[in-house]
Amino acid sequence: MPDLLEQIAEAPADHYRRLRISSLDGDQLVELSQRMKLSLSLEDMRAVQSIYADWGREPTDVELEVIAQTWSEHCKHRIFGATIEHTIDGRTETVHSLFKTYIYTVSKAIMARKPDFVLSAFHDNAGFIKLDDQLAVCLKAETHNHPSAIEPYAGANTGLGGVIRDILGAGKGAKPIASLDVFCFGAPDTAPENIKADDVIHPLGILRGVVRGVRDYGNRMGIPTVCGAIQFDDAYIYNPLVYCGTAGVIPIQDIDKQMTAGLKVISVGARTGRDGLHGATFSSAALDTESHEADQQAVQIGNPIEEKKAADFVLEARALGLIEFITDCGAGGYSSACGEMLEEVGGEIILDNVKLKEEGLVSWEIFISESQERMVLAVKEESLPALRALADKYETELTELGHADGSGILKVKHHGEMVCELDCTKLHNAPVRRMKSIWETWERRHPAGVSDDSDAGRMPALPGLLRKVISDFAVVSREPIIREYDHEVQGNTVLKPLAGASGDAPQDGSVIRIDGSDQLMAMALSLLPEWGKTAPYEMGLACVDECFRQLVAMGANPDRIAILDNFCMGNPNDPRELGALVETVKGIAAAADAYSAPFVSGKDSFYNYFETKDGPVSIPVTILVSGMGIVEDAAHVVTGSLRRSNSVVSILGTTGGDFGGSVVARQLGGLAASVPGTDLAANLALYRKYYEAVKAGWILATHDVSEGGLAVALAEFAFSGKGGLDLSLDTLPVDGQPTKLAQLFAETPGRLVIEIAPEHREQVAAHFAGLAYAELGTATDAHANLRIEYGKEILLNEPLSELKSLWKNGLAPYY
Amino acid sequence: MEKRPRALLLKFPGTNCDAETARALRSVGFDAEIAPISTVNRATLDGVRLVVLSGGFSYGDYVMSGRIASLVTQLRIDGALAEFRDAGGYLLGICNGFQILTQLGLLPAGSLVHNTSGRFQCRWVTLENRAPDSPFLRNMPARFEFPIAHAEGRFVTTDPATAETYVAEGLAALTYADDVNGSFARIAGMQDETGRVFGLMPHPERFMRARDHYDPDWSGAEQGSGHYFFQSLFEAIADDQSKGASV
Repeated sequence: MPDLLEQIAEAPADHYRRLRISSLDGDQLVELSQRMKLSLSLEDMRAVQSIYADWGREPTDVELEVIAQTWSEHCKHRIFGATIEHTIDGRTETVHSLFKTYIYTVSKAIMARKPDFVLSAFHDNAGFIKLDDQLAVCLKAETHNHPSAIEPYAGANTGLGGVIRDILGAGKGAKPIASLDVFCFGAPDTAPENIKADDVIHPLGILRGVVRGVRDYGNRMGIPTVCGAIQFDDAYIYNPLVYCGTAGVIPIQDIDKQMTAGLKVISVGARTGRDGLHGATFSSAALDTESHEADQQAVQIGNPIEEKKAADFVLEARALGLIEFITDCGAGGYSSACGEMLEEVGGEIILDNVKLKEEGLVSWEIFISESQERMVLAVKEESLPALRALADKYETELTELGHADGSGILKVKHHGEMVCELDCTKLHNAPVRRMKSIWETWERRHPAGVSDDSDAGRMPALPGLLRKVISDFAVVSREPIIREYDHEVQGNTVLKPLAGASGDAPQDGSVIRIDGSDQLMAMALSLLPEWGKTAPYEMGLACVDECFRQLVAMGANPDRIAILDNFCMGNPNDPRELGALVETVKGIAAAADAYSAPFVSGKDSFYNYFETKDGPVSIPVTILVSGMGIVEDAAHVVTGSLRRSNSVVSILGTTGGDFGGSVVARQLGGLAASVPGTDLAANLALYRKYYEAVKAGWILATHDVSEGGLAVALAEFAFSGKGGLDLSLDTLPVDGQPTKLAQLFAETPGRLVIEIAPEHREQVAAHFAGLAYAELGTATDAHANLRIEYGKEILLNEPLSELKSLWKNGLAPYY
Repeated sequence: MEKRPRALLLKFPGTNCDAETARALRSVGFDAEIAPISTVNRATLDGVRLVVLSGGFSYGDYVMSGRIASLVTQLRIDGALAEFRDAGGYLLGICNGFQILTQLGLLPAGSLVHNTSGRFQCRWVTLENRAPDSPFLRNMPARFEFPIAHAEGRFVTTDPATAETYVAEGLAALTYADDVNGSFARIAGMQDETGRVFGLMPHPERFMRARDHYDPDWSGAEQGSGHYFFQSLFEAIADDQSKGASV
């Protein structure tokens, strides 16, 4: 069969072609989209056809590629903008854009309530919040899932490299100061025969490759990787998730940037090659075995030193006032970066100026190549000599690409010919997708309720169960991985990911000192994909709560917290999967609104499903909530580990009886149970009160209660080795009548365990009077056990050294 | 006002601890300036009292760590650092800087190779002060902690006996209290025979304040141990200056 592309190519030039699409029928349009790997639907292709019919001409291949990049899910977030007919428990509602309805509107309302806190959100490469009168901090997280599935090392490597460039491209160039990484993998001990597809890399291979990829980029860039998480679930065997995030700092005066006619457009950093073609459109489609063979071209190799040189250049150029506008070269390469810069002002890009890694690239390849380590800047012509000198100083390459001209048209020239001439404002109206989603709540599916009275009959002995839970992959120490990351470079990591008197106890996040300020930035994150399998709305609530709670626990002001939403899901065309996404979005929005913690940035990743021999496997809807909070004084920083052996240990927050999604439920073989709800109003009142206690200096240490429940939180609290714990659950604040199992292992949100010096005992009790607060007991040097009583019964009396050994060494055999 | 002694931090592509090292030097009284290697020539060293090679991954360290940086240094200012030392100047190499100084032959013969674990490791270690008279260590206690963060920090010599000799002669100025990376004789830091050239794998610039310690109740001293390390050096150089020594 003759090649469609050859058939419709007009006057073929060797570097670009004009394509006759006006006469193509639906099947041919789809064929063309597939042939060019545009990832555009029939509806999209018809829209393109009609745009060109209006213009009375045919598109060039460069223009089609630009439109495909612009309209890709990766760049345009078309599912978050779709009109969704959502049916929840039989009631149908119409959501006009998830993003606008739940993320944007909620955040804008919070910003209006809190003027002068968020300085920039949603429109730049990262959102900024105010640190003090001079400085602002920002955070951005991205996923790099498909590349990491195919080539774990390079995929994760460039994933981190990309998000670092987002920070360098935020404002007029923010300084990257800390990174986070979050992974979702299959279990490290997955039996190879349980992987039901060819060419899928075993979770261990993914884990090792991804960690090394993050390590080698972050460490070489000199940005501490301070925060992270790993989730293990069989559903991630085929579609591992790799989230990378980076925080930055910038002078407030350098946040706003403007494009104006006359500015020169320059590129700084690496050269352009055939690597990374079609990354944006590739990541907007599902994986299958063939992806592993065919799409290698879409995965690039990172060169952190190239990026480090560009970063040194950018930061000094910004400090010298030489940058008017900057953005990173990410998905879509120059086409996205220049397109973003010139979409309103218009201008001209000369592809002949682009420095290439290899000869022979055609126009569209140069324009959309996603070769790494490139930044695009707009600068005044008179600044060029100083910028060239700076490029020489840092041994990076500066290339003049073109200029902004005020025409409103994006013009791209190559070999003297106009290969692209687009009015970008005409491209904003990509067809709005119409989708259907459906969800049924737990209560609807279990109208009679399910007994979770599992204490009776099947409950194993508590000491053994604690050992199982603390050895679960969800709980065990990430130390082997954390040690491979330089989490102290830049010399500002005040609260380290592993700390406490022993230097290896888990913390709730990290706190970073900011040069030039007395205030600090806390970073934390949460994801609970297991919850979302049955209760996505509750997952959304709990993730925001956990992230927020961790930030407050470490000493952040609850009124100065901003969060990010990063979604991953399987097949959005499956109404039930999309329904879970809609419910998750509602959950995070409700919690963000209640806590007045605005979203300042977010991203989404779709099509994380895989066609196995046994049919398609989708990931559960996975939301990562990450956040930054301002710690106003270094004295407010609270560690997550016990500091004394004569202190009082108390709990804040109410324990409920629901087990759904918990580690213990998984250990007991999938206990059918509902997922805990989150009492947002009660929690916020508690957090505010807690923050006052922190400022008063009454809190010695605080640890959040999360995966594994209270028993695990208390054990981890004492892993600093300062003393044993003598505790009783008799006065534990409860909701209903939770069983002993629930009291020890339920993962009810909203709880913190705190350590108080004996001299502040009365003050603290009075301070929390009327709220969910109770003394559980004391730290002691009389023994080194975790001893928990309930009534006259000793539930647990376990040597902490033994528990710590299980926890500390759980991952070591695999990494 | 008395002139603050000048410290120059050489920066290679991939050097990434220069900012915090300059900050540490300034905090104890130095006038510190970062000089990208592309801007460096012999004249750059005029008036400088201390040259610092800070941590990072010069040129990516894809071949033996510090190798390319040492070759580029030779290319640009061959012999100048040795002359600088001979004229009374001080040289400090931290982590990658230690690797570079070793490659340049400015420290006693040895190599810094991959840790026996085969892994990068970021953790705190206890160090033993084996050269209490060193200008770099004279304010330091017999044992103290610094963080390490390296993949290639295993100090080896052509035979283990040489490393033992370095310890016996006091050239191995710092040793690890425990075996952390397989270094012969647990060597963590070296000085040359003049005592003015010093290299160490740990990062003193990351422990300037007591609060930088992982234990919030650390009470070893009012400031972090790194403060006293840089302060030792500052005092030594200030002493030289007041005695009228010149470079």
